[in-house]
Amino acid sequence: MLEFYEPQADYGTPKSTSTELVTLSVDGVEVTVPEGTSVMRAAAESGVKIPRLCATDQLKSFGSCRVCLVEIEGRRGFPASCTTTVEAGMEVKTQSDEIAKLRRNVMELYISDHPLDCLTCPTNGDCELQDTAGELGLRSVRYGFEGENHLVAEKDESNPYFTFDPSKCIVCSRCVRACEEVQGTFALTIDGRGFESKVSASQAEDFMDSECVSCGACVNACPTATLTEKSIIEAGKPEHSVTTTCAYCGVGCSFKAEMKGNQVVRMTPYKDGKANEGHACVKGRFAFGYATHKDRITVPMIRDSIDDPWKEVSWEEAVTYTAKRFKDIQSQYGRTSIGAISSSRCTNEEVYLVQKMVRAGFGNNNVDTCARVCHSPTGFGLKTTLGESAGTQTFASVADADVVVVMGANPTEAHPVFGSRLKRRLREGAKLIVIDPRKIELVSSPHITADYHLPVRPGTNVTVLNALAHVVVNEGLEARDYIEERCDVPEFEKWLAFIGDERHSPENTESITGVPAADLRAAARLYATGGNGAIFYGLGVTEHSQGSTAVMGIANMAMLTGNIGRDGVGVNPLRGQNNVQGSCDMGSFPHELPGYRHISDSATRELFEGEWGVTLDSEPGLRIPNMFDAALDGDFKGLYCQGEDIAQSDPNTQHVEAALRSIECLVVQDIFLNETAKFAHVFLPGASFLEKDGTFTNAERRISRVRKAMPPLSGKADWEGTMALANALGCEMDYNHPSEIMDEIARLTPTFNGVSYDKLEQLGSIQWPCNDNTPDGTPIMHIDEFVRGKGFFAMTEYVPTTERANRKFPLLLTTGRILSQYNVGAQTRRTDNSEWHGEDLLEIHPHDAEERGINHGDWVGINSRVGDTVLRANVTDRVKPGVVYTTFHHPVSGANVITTDNSDWATNCPEYKVTAVQLSKVTEPSNWQARQKSFDKQQLGLLEKAQLQEAQG
Amino acid sequence: MSASKLDRLVKMVNQIALNMSANGTDKMVADQVAQHLEKFWSPPMKNLITEQAAGADIGLTPIAQLAVQDLLVMQEAKQG
Repeated sequence: MLEFYEPQADYGTPKSTSTELVTLSVDGVEVTVPEGTSVMRAAAESGVKIPRLCATDQLKSFGSCRVCLVEIEGRRGFPASCTTTVEAGMEVKTQSDEIAKLRRNVMELYISDHPLDCLTCPTNGDCELQDTAGELGLRSVRYGFEGENHLVAEKDESNPYFTFDPSKCIVCSRCVRACEEVQGTFALTIDGRGFESKVSASQAEDFMDSECVSCGACVNACPTATLTEKSIIEAGKPEHSVTTTCAYCGVGCSFKAEMKGNQVVRMTPYKDGKANEGHACVKGRFAFGYATHKDRITVPMIRDSIDDPWKEVSWEEAVTYTAKRFKDIQSQYGRTSIGAISSSRCTNEEVYLVQKMVRAGFGNNNVDTCARVCHSPTGFGLKTTLGESAGTQTFASVADADVVVVMGANPTEAHPVFGSRLKRRLREGAKLIVIDPRKIELVSSPHITADYHLPVRPGTNVTVLNALAHVVVNEGLEARDYIEERCDVPEFEKWLAFIGDERHSPENTESITGVPAADLRAAARLYATGGNGAIFYGLGVTEHSQGSTAVMGIANMAMLTGNIGRDGVGVNPLRGQNNVQGSCDMGSFPHELPGYRHISDSATRELFEGEWGVTLDSEPGLRIPNMFDAALDGDFKGLYCQGEDIAQSDPNTQHVEAALRSIECLVVQDIFLNETAKFAHVFLPGASFLEKDGTFTNAERRISRVRKAMPPLSGKADWEGTMALANALGCEMDYNHPSEIMDEIARLTPTFNGVSYDKLEQLGSIQWPCNDNTPDGTPIMHIDEFVRGKGFFAMTEYVPTTERANRKFPLLLTTGRILSQYNVGAQTRRTDNSEWHGEDLLEIHPHDAEERGINHGDWVGINSRVGDTVLRANVTDRVKPGVVYTTFHHPVSGANVITTDNSDWATNCPEYKVTAVQLSKVTEPSNWQARQKSFDKQQLGLLEKAQLQEAQG
Repeated sequence: MSASKLDRLVKMVNQIALNMSANGTDKMVADQVAQHLEKFWSPPMKNLITEQAAGADIGLTPIAQLAVQDLLVMQEAKQG
């Protein structure tokens, strides 16, 4: 949907949520609005814009600029319309000669200290100050411009994405309030008084050196050119925009991609996007430059061996070559010797086509997705206990939570826009329990202190969850009526006997978990009795050898306390990538067809067989780790990998690399020559999210449109590339647009029956299930009953991991993410976000560092049972003694060289979060890092040769 | 067939059995483990473990051994 550029509508003050209505008149026109609405907003809703500078509907009214004055019948003076709330029968007049004079007087004062360089100003034509001056008919400034002013104030250009030009600041405080109210970082303040008042980042520091997290909320809120995107300064005002969905984390923020021709000049968070409501983070808001980075590969390439140079070819030649090699492999090694891995970064429609090509074209079920290595235990655990493999809430529901549990997740870093929403609720008074080995930001940050931080020893989540449930049961705090009405009571009674055993008590488990018994008891009591309890969890729960058990333990806790089935409660997995939920929904797992229906179910199979005109294999295919094992055993020889970098992201890198080297035809479809592509024989150029149509499904089950903002650089969107390959294999596909693929998904999948592109246009986004019973979607699940009927209390026996610390490997390494980087970093490393995080560091407690003679910044060798790597040390008490931590955003770090191939018992999700290691001070990179550097150089050389040959014709 | 391939499968079945150990009697747990394998494992993995476990000690725990026997019965029933 192409829209000519115009700023998003702004009603001046936030919408009131009251259900009581009030009728008043504005300039003689009657208007009815919810109680608590400001006069300014009521006027806007009746079509009258009252001029203002300090007001915006993203922030609470402030009443400082005095431009929005109105007259109200029966009231003295000229009240500010932003801070005056409506009353029944009120008669408001927004225009009169006297009002106009007053407003102009105020504007004159502002403009007397503002540069008159509108024609060369970066926000010329997109400036609220300029617009307001125009609306007020300002024609002269009686005070002149010679007096004391701020016109020579120095610009701060330290932030890579925006500038701060104090000479243009009108001190409206919108940026300061946005940082507080919207983002919750409190990095900005108004320093000084009166004429000396100025916006200041932290303690009068540069933006880059301050606590600013570069979310852009201040830039969005600024009504002048004081805070302006550098991309706008360079390119000028956009001329059209396309509404789309962010391709970073599982929050799924809605954005306006603001364009000049085919060039994105700005990404502005969309106020009507229900996941983000106008907010964004440094990745989605600013880190879009990777889409046109010079490293993009836009031409298909082939080669017979990974030691050969690449050869650039046409799409037709690439898919014909691939189809021939796949067919030859199948004739030689059998039908099940090839498979595919789909991407949680691609659209639902693309993921659907990959699994369709595997099942209908390859003739097997060897398809898996990266959710295998992140949230597959969520799928298993929630399906088992509640009946559906998905979270239960909307993000907005957290506004009704009274007690929030954050377990194994770090929302302010990994899901920042949800993190801001959560922080807002915590500032309003909701209680917080953090269960995490590290002191994440939420444990203590401006205006937020966790009521309890349970610093669990890595690998013992299940014991903590069992102990929490034990306290609830033992102290009689369970929701008996809820359980009897909603849950399978005989199974509950069995579980009760299990969990009531004294071995689960906090006192008996303290030595295992490292969590003080008194804190654990208090936290259990708070969650069970504190009102609406909402649990948010992440990969710190799932990526363990007992990940599925922990997910079931979380669901047990929620059912035990009656905390599922309404606003403000629930079980909420925070998904890592933008479309993890969608890729699972679309049948990417080897045992499931779309909609989580098992492949052995003949009725479901027949449905798909009828649509696709083939006979489907009724047996599950290989999971990703099984594919690697089978490759090493010589049984698996061909792999199509779309939009995933398994060589960097999967555990035990040496094992993965050996498996990739065993594959005879590895096809990688990606936007860059990623680590996996260096082992590939065919490279199909991928398309970024800006280059295609489709849908993503976020962690709330919200299906949102992805809209093409520019043509695909390679000539094909990913779905078109898959379709070309499928057709070359003889698996006929003939879609003209992704909407046709969605129509097919809807025909075949009961939870998607009501979904269509038309409905998405109409509603903006839809939370599945969406069908005849719930035509507008399902924001909150399990309201009257669980999807499985009665809620099931699963047994959660704690089985310790075999990956244990001992004298040789005395520390436990756990891994996580950082705000500025995303996953394997392929996108964010190719943006200025690297200014915040140019390398992965190893966090180590001062006590452990001192014992080993390690100082901050030293190179540290990290040895595990499977490998070793070298990182620089960050000595910090954010981690507890005995635990070390790193991120995995840079390939050279080799974080996964040291992680093991231990995995979750039910799903084979790798145990990234527990690796026993030893550290030592070193002076040079590890052998693996040296080999990686040399291999990288060789592969980039082979790429350059191909590009050179092409250039020479 | 490499020894490590079988070792990996044995480790997985034992791990599943251990994690399901609180679910009921040994027989019930073995049934559930067998159903889990049937539901999530590919045919070559199922075939390998049932073939190798038949009449031989391949390192399965007693419940895992029972589960693999159950799995064999399921496979035979499917084949009619």
